[in-house]
Amino acid sequence: MNFKLFFKHRATELSLSIIFVVGFVLLVATSGGVLLTRQSLQGFLTYLAVPIVIGMAQMVVLAIGQMNLAVGAMGGVSAAMMAVLMADHHLPIWLALLIGFLSATAMGALNGALVVITQLNGFIITLGTMTILLGFQYRLVRTFTVDSYPKSLPDFGNKSILGFPLILVIAFATSVLLSLFFSRTMAGRRILATGGNQIAARLSGISNGRSVFLAHTLSGSLVGIAAIITISSLPGINRSIGGDWMLASFAAPIIGGVLMAGGTVAVFGTVVAAGVVRLVDIARAQYSLDPSIVSLTVGIVVLSTVALSEWRRRRSQRALEGKKVSG
Amino acid sequence: MSTTLKIRRIISDQRVVLTALTVGLFIYFGLKNSAFFSTDFVIYPLLRDGAVLTVIGLAQLCALSIGHLNLAVGRMAAVAALASGAAYQYWHLSLVPGLLIGLIVGSSLGFVAGVIIVKSQVNAFIVTLAMDFALLGFVTFVYVTFTGATAAFITKPKGMEFWRNTSLHQYCVGGFCGPKVFPMMLVPAIIALVLVGFLYAKTRLGRELLSTGSNLRAAKLSGIPVDRRVIIAHTLSGLLAALAGVMLAFTNGSFTASIGSQFMLPSFLGPVLGGTLLVGGSVQVLGTFIGTMLTLVIRQGLSVQGIGLETLNIALGLVLLTALSLGQIQKMFTAIRMRGRT
Repeated sequence: MNFKLFFKHRATELSLSIIFVVGFVLLVATSGGVLLTRQSLQGFLTYLAVPIVIGMAQMVVLAIGQMNLAVGAMGGVSAAMMAVLMADHHLPIWLALLIGFLSATAMGALNGALVVITQLNGFIITLGTMTILLGFQYRLVRTFTVDSYPKSLPDFGNKSILGFPLILVIAFATSVLLSLFFSRTMAGRRILATGGNQIAARLSGISNGRSVFLAHTLSGSLVGIAAIITISSLPGINRSIGGDWMLASFAAPIIGGVLMAGGTVAVFGTVVAAGVVRLVDIARAQYSLDPSIVSLTVGIVVLSTVALSEWRRRRSQRALEGKKVSG
Repeated sequence: MSTTLKIRRIISDQRVVLTALTVGLFIYFGLKNSAFFSTDFVIYPLLRDGAVLTVIGLAQLCALSIGHLNLAVGRMAAVAALASGAAYQYWHLSLVPGLLIGLIVGSSLGFVAGVIIVKSQVNAFIVTLAMDFALLGFVTFVYVTFTGATAAFITKPKGMEFWRNTSLHQYCVGGFCGPKVFPMMLVPAIIALVLVGFLYAKTRLGRELLSTGSNLRAAKLSGIPVDRRVIIAHTLSGLLAALAGVMLAFTNGSFTASIGSQFMLPSFLGPVLGGTLLVGGSVQVLGTFIGTMLTLVIRQGLSVQGIGLETLNIALGLVLLTALSLGQIQKMFTAIRMRGRT
């Protein structure tokens, strides 16, 4: 019985893991083992880190039933800031990264404060801040690629622990911490309660405003981590950084089983889903397909996942109502 | 009604304030740099862009009227332009039938969005966002597959040049010709403004849409078929988005995948600045045009001053956030005043 329940609750994560394994094996088989060489495996794992972290940055905002359109712009500004501070102002690496991280957190806090003060949907607020931040990103890096920062940063990005790239380990560690935050701390539970039902949360003494503010701030911090990963794994920072983050940030959590209506998180699901999306990307490169095929596939998968999860929710609700009548 | 009250009423009308602001800014930019008053290089393109963006604003307004958002306006426009472009390129249709195909495709997309929203009861912005993702890949894929490296349909139907390049100056009645600054593109925009304005101000359907937006339960209880009204609002939104997409393709002279990619922010700026509520139940059709023109004057004015793209983005984002907060502040004041009265 317990075993059955476990499968029922973890259905999305389990099926995603199976899809990931099968897809990976298929890719290895069709490529004749090229994917298993050290170099391509390293590449696969390294570029998995950013989708995981931005997926989680979107997930914490989805948890309160809102969305953060500015994920890409915030990451772009933060990474550009770090690069400029190191290249032009010759700040030490740790200080530049810290300032970039803190400013991403501050941008998230600003989003949260604006949402709470104006009582408007987070979507429209982040649309506004996204536009502003894109402007700042252009202003910081213009049309150049900033890459004249100390050599030790890319070295840091290339480090690996037990064969895993260090930055992927950072991403995993972040996801474990986030998972603990939502399952073990008061603040995490409060955020989920606000997302699940605002009125019920307020009646049980939770400050919805504080939850919303905290979720947006947390999203900013996660974007800051994504920016650190980006700057240490890429050869240079230009104005296109963050431009393709939006779809990826929504795809991972939604495919991973996070409801867009709020109230749920699925850290493991998000991580695995990011892996699956990464596989699609690899497959595209391997069969030299057009890049647009990836957006098309991911878009359709996202759309059908949303429809499916809603259908499932309604079915379970109906079953519940049936039980109520008969009981 | 006394005159002072009348004047007060006029001044407090958001549209009057907006118009004054637009005209004032226009004159200010013109005085700072006389190149801004150039008919051919500034005012004509400004009005032409304004025509396209007003229509996309109206597309968003239809969704806003029932309290929904349509995040797929840009991509619906792109798909519609794709359909029209294909019709011109492969089936050699003339201007109007090709346009109609685009409009049909756009309204069917809107219809599908509406049906999904009603059937699944999922939030409108989620459905349209997911739709946006799916269509984004679809549009690029189709262009690349069918046209290869150019990634554009470049067949120009007969009459396209007329719509994109000429003004009302062509028409003369008894020796009196239309103004040269009036682009032909404004004609479809004005038709759309009049029709949408008529819909919301004078028809039963329009009023039912608005009451669906202001209070869904009350609307349902008073016998309005709210599900059907939601579908109609989204279909209208798709139709207008399609019109804007084809208009932009005409302005550009080619049908490309990038059409509509810049529509999202303007589609909100116009209606929101014009006084349309995000929560639904109240629309300002003419305000959408004025709001759009205000943003365009700011954009064009700053770029004539030689200010780069980055500052434009910052300015427009700030305008949006300020406009949104103003609504909230206004609401707060009204609440205080109401409390004082009782």
